[in-house]
Amino acid sequence: MIHSTSQPPTSAVREKTEILYGTENVLGSLLDFLSKAKRIDSCGDSKSPSLAFEVDIYRKLLADIKNKGIRVRQVTGITKENIRYCKELLKFGYEIRHLDDIKANFSVSETEYLATAAALRESQPIPQIIYSNVKDIVKQQRYVFESFWNKAIPAEIRINEIEKGIELENTHVIQDPQTIQKSFVDMVKSAQHEVLLILPTINAFLREHRIGIIQLLVQAAKERSVNVRILTPTNDVIDDLLKNMEVLPYQEGERTKDFDLDLRSINMSSEETAVSTVTIVVVDKKESLVFEKTDDTKENFIEAVGSATYSNSKPTVMSYVSIFKNLWKQVDLYEQLKTHDKMQKEFINIASHEMKTPTQAIVGYADLMKKHPEKRDDMMQAISRNAVRLQRLTNDILDVTRIDSNTLNLHKELFNLDDVIANVIQDHLGYIEKENLNVKLLYNFKRDINEPISVDADRDRIAQVISNLLSNAIRFTSKIMDGVIFVSAERKKDSNQKEIIVSIKDTGEGINPEIQPRLFTKFATRSFSGTGLGLYISKSIVEAHGGKMLAENNPDGNGATFTFTLPLSKSSAMKRMNR
Amino acid sequence: MKKKKKKILVVDDEPDNASIFSMGLEDVGFKVDAFTDPLLALSKFKSQYKKYELLILDIKMPDMNGFELFEEIRKIDNKVKACFLTAFGEGYTEEFGRRFPSSINVSFIRKPIRIDDLVKKVNELVIT
Repeated sequence: MIHSTSQPPTSAVREKTEILYGTENVLGSLLDFLSKAKRIDSCGDSKSPSLAFEVDIYRKLLADIKNKGIRVRQVTGITKENIRYCKELLKFGYEIRHLDDIKANFSVSETEYLATAAALRESQPIPQIIYSNVKDIVKQQRYVFESFWNKAIPAEIRINEIEKGIELENTHVIQDPQTIQKSFVDMVKSAQHEVLLILPTINAFLREHRIGIIQLLVQAAKERSVNVRILTPTNDVIDDLLKNMEVLPYQEGERTKDFDLDLRSINMSSEETAVSTVTIVVVDKKESLVFEKTDDTKENFIEAVGSATYSNSKPTVMSYVSIFKNLWKQVDLYEQLKTHDKMQKEFINIASHEMKTPTQAIVGYADLMKKHPEKRDDMMQAISRNAVRLQRLTNDILDVTRIDSNTLNLHKELFNLDDVIANVIQDHLGYIEKENLNVKLLYNFKRDINEPISVDADRDRIAQVISNLLSNAIRFTSKIMDGVIFVSAERKKDSNQKEIIVSIKDTGEGINPEIQPRLFTKFATRSFSGTGLGLYISKSIVEAHGGKMLAENNPDGNGATFTFTLPLSKSSAMKRMNR
Repeated sequence: MKKKKKKILVVDDEPDNASIFSMGLEDVGFKVDAFTDPLLALSKFKSQYKKYELLILDIKMPDMNGFELFEEIRKIDNKVKACFLTAFGEGYTEEFGRRFPSSINVSFIRKPIRIDDLVKKVNELVIT
């Protein structure tokens, strides 16, 4: 031993590098090293943090460092095993950073360098050590330390990850097709909660079906209640495969499957989906596997697959989850848009047909009238009839447009519903009389004069609804012998009487079972005088008031009953409560 | 010598239209059979066959549309000409192409049409 702690540092220290053997000598060298240092930069493998605590003779060193106020920076591999030592060291004021798989064990101060000359063992003192005070070596090792330090992450972050149980995050490329296939299968098998899968082509689906992925997904959904979501192009072949696996019902409307596997068809062009070449699978929002197809014509998975990227790094995996979700939503919206577009075209087609028919009659009769003056009166009547029909249609189409674009404005006011019903009935009685129809129109006016039914609603719109229901009832009842239509309005007997029920019951033909399911849809009629829009409009008006409309054939087999509800105005309800 | 009147079959489920078209055509010398029920028109055609110069058929009708009626009539008279009445904006060309690959002897009239224009169109079709 050359150095001793008592020897004061001089400017003329001889430069040397040597190896010291034996735990005693090593300890002496360490003490000596500490005595001269103001700052120490240290690199150690994952075993190094334990030495200061587990080896008795080194404990004193820690106290020395603290007492002398030496600044220590240490780079080490923080693991589950050594985390408690690292935390202790932090308490002693060490600055620690983490670097994966670090193997070097050395310390460097302003002037000296120490390195272990043999691998460290857990809880064992260091058997031999290299010492150097050669300026160039010290300088060089300081530089080595700095580069490790700059690459390393703060200990706090690493400790936090370990304590939260976060796996070592990892993203890597897999080149070998066999390994890709195995990883894919293993991932699906390991799924606990959720599998998200995007397939780029029909062939990709078929290849993955061949290696059993689709079956594994069904199994995961059925046996482990995993939520499986698949986005894939489809065709008849795929539909058949899915039917065989009970993912799709054999027939529309057949019983729904009792496992959570949902599949959306991405049969739009690749530009629209932006997923045309890669398969993406995400399991449990923890792992992702993305692989390219190099040759989509190949039937075999191994032959078709290019390289893959595996990741369990949270930001990467969550990015794929978000891509999946957006695409899933996009497919939904795309379908909605298509349906909406189709419905709109259909509406325009039918509306145009409906408007051109009476227009043709008006134009035609007007032309013919010149040549047939003797039929002038009949033709005038026909023109007038068709003009009225056109007018009604125009109004109805305007109403439908308002309803469909949510611009049906209600001008609400407080009024007595009985008055409105009486007016509408009066109008229709006039019509019945004029047309000499064999229909009786009855209304129950037996009401306590002090208890009027007052509603807060759009008077004209409510009159329109009642008038529409009454016209329908008359149309379908007038052909029946001694037809009767009974109108009533009453407070609902249960649920605290907050609603009014208006019903129009007739003894007419009843609702055609064929039309019943689409009774309230647009253009559900073949009758000349009806536009097929009345019930759709009426139901929409009632719903805009917060009510409901229902229609059913009468239980006795004669005729139908249409009912609608309206919320009772608050003041009216209050009045009753105060009694 | 009185020239024999040329026969035209009109089928439109709207009674006003059926009567306007037949009146307009009868005024200029055609003999018109008009129906508002395509099934009735077909059964009459089958039971009392007549050689029609032209069929004027509405497309959208209940029970049997104009195309279907034309197909049935062609089974009996495959040379007959047809003119379809359409009140629709678009959308029938595709179905028409599918039903009648060789679109011989077929044309369209868009409703509404003035009587003079109808007569002009029908004269063209009957002569050619």
